[in-house]
Amino acid sequence: MIRATLALFAFAVVICGLIIFRPFAGNDQITQDRLDTPFEDSADTAVEVTRSATPDISALAQAAVAAAPLTVDLGTGIVQAPRRVDVARPSTDDTRLSDMTNNVLAELGFAGLEPVTTNSQAQRQSTSDILAGIEAATGQRSILDERETLEAIVITALRAGESDESIDLIVNTAAASGDVAVPEILVTSDGRVDTFVLLNNIVTQARIAAGGAAPAIPDVTPDNTAGMEVRIIQRATDEIEARFYTVQSGDSLGAISIKFYGVIGQYETIFEANKGLLSSPDRIRVGQRLVIPQLDA
Amino acid sequence: MKTIACLAIFACALTVGGAAQAQDVRITTFKRESVIPLTRNKNMNATLQREFARTSRACPLDCIQPMRIADGVLTLGELELLDFLEDRVTGGTGLLIDTRVPAEFATGSILSGVNVPVAMPNFENRFRGDILRALGAVAQVDGSLDFTNAMALTLYSGGVWSNDAPNAIGHLMAAGYPANKLFYYRGGMQAWAHVGLTIHQSQNLG
Repeated sequence: MIRATLALFAFAVVICGLIIFRPFAGNDQITQDRLDTPFEDSADTAVEVTRSATPDISALAQAAVAAAPLTVDLGTGIVQAPRRVDVARPSTDDTRLSDMTNNVLAELGFAGLEPVTTNSQAQRQSTSDILAGIEAATGQRSILDERETLEAIVITALRAGESDESIDLIVNTAAASGDVAVPEILVTSDGRVDTFVLLNNIVTQARIAAGGAAPAIPDVTPDNTAGMEVRIIQRATDEIEARFYTVQSGDSLGAISIKFYGVIGQYETIFEANKGLLSSPDRIRVGQRLVIPQLDA
Repeated sequence: MKTIACLAIFACALTVGGAAQAQDVRITTFKRESVIPLTRNKNMNATLQREFARTSRACPLDCIQPMRIADGVLTLGELELLDFLEDRVTGGTGLLIDTRVPAEFATGSILSGVNVPVAMPNFENRFRGDILRALGAVAQVDGSLDFTNAMALTLYSGGVWSNDAPNAIGHLMAAGYPANKLFYYRGGMQAWAHVGLTIHQSQNLG
C-alpha cells in the first residue's frame, strides 16, 4: 500500500514537473519566422497599427531612433542606442484608457457622454484627503502640486486641431519629462506612448457613442501580420489552433489588442493569457512571444 | 461540616473584600487614565460586539501576522502605544497611522490616528512623494528623499489577522523610510477594543 502510494506520488511530481517546465515545447520557430517575414508585409495591411516593424537589427535601431527623439540625451547630444531590456518607460497610473477617452469626448461636447471619475482622479482625491489628515495631526501645511493630466493635454491638442504627428510629439515630450502618467496599455515596447492607439480609440469610442457599431474583429493571418504564427495543437479529442504574436518594436498592448480584436478592450484577455511573461501591461518588450487567445463565440 | 462552614466564611470574606476595594477599570494598576483623553470602558459587563467579535476571517486574505514583521521595526502592545501617543505624538515627532480603508476608518479609530490607506504609499503611486514629504521627508537635489527629520510612525490595522499595516510598513521601507522610525501595533483595532480602550469618532475629511 505504501509502495503504491509512493509510486503515485512520484508520478504526480513528474507530471507536475512536466507541466511547469515543458521540456518539449520548443520555440525555435519564431526566430525563423521573424527573420523571413518581409518588412513590407506589415505596411500594407489594414489592421497594422504599429509604427515601424522591421526584422533587420540595424534598421530597427535606426527606426527606433527616428521614431524616438526622446532617446537623445539633451545635455550631451549623444544618441542613446535603444536597448531591448529596461528601456525608460513613461510613468503610468491605473486609469483606464476607456475612462480617459470618455472624459475627453465628454469635454469636447459629445452628446450622451458624462464624465466619469478616472482612477487617477480618485487617487488624487484620496491623496489630498490623506494630506489633509496628516496636516490636521501635525499642523504642517502640505500642498498637493497641480499636475498635468494626459486627458487635459489631449483635449487641448484636439481643440487646437493639432495633427496626429504633433499630438504624438506633445504627448511623448510630456511623458518623457515625467510630468504626466499614461494608461499602462499605451506604453510601447520601446518605452514611448502609443498615440496611435490613443487617437484610434477616441475615434472608435466616438463612433460607438454616436450609435455606430463596434469595430469588427479583423481577419488576422500570419500572411498579413508580421510576427504572428499559428500552431495546431493536438488534444485528446480535438485539435485547437493556437495563435502567437511576437512583440515588434513600437507595439503596445493596446495596439496588439486592436490588431487582433479590433478594440482596446481585449487587452485584458491578452494580459491574462500571458501573465507569466508580462508582470504588468506596460512591461512589454520586443521579442516577447505572446499567446493570443481566440474569443469565445 | 466544619470544612464547609470554613469555606463559606472564606467566600463571604472574599466577596466583602472585593466589594470594599473600589471597583475600577484602570489602564494599569497605577494609571487610571491617560493624559490624552483616553481611558477604558468602565462597564465591567461590556463585551466585544459585531465586527470585533468575529474570530474566523477568511485566510488567505486575512491571515495571522507574525510578531516581528521586519528587521528593526519594533512591535508595540497597548501600553507601548500609549507611551508613543503620550510622548511622540503629543510632542509632535510621531504619528499614529491607521492603514485601513477610509470606510472602516470612518467607523471609529484610535485617538489621533491618521488614515493612510495601505494602497497609498506604494511604488506605483505618483503621489507617494507628496505623502512622504508630508511625513517629514525632505527632497534632495538628486531627487531622493532625506528621512533624517521624518516622523516616527506607528502603524496599525484591523487586528492581528490584518496584513494592511505590515504591507504599509513594507511599502514605506521600500520607499526608504528608516526601520527604526517605524513601529507596528499588531493588535490593531480589535485588540484595542478588546480591552475597552476608547474608540474615537474618526475625523474623516473625505
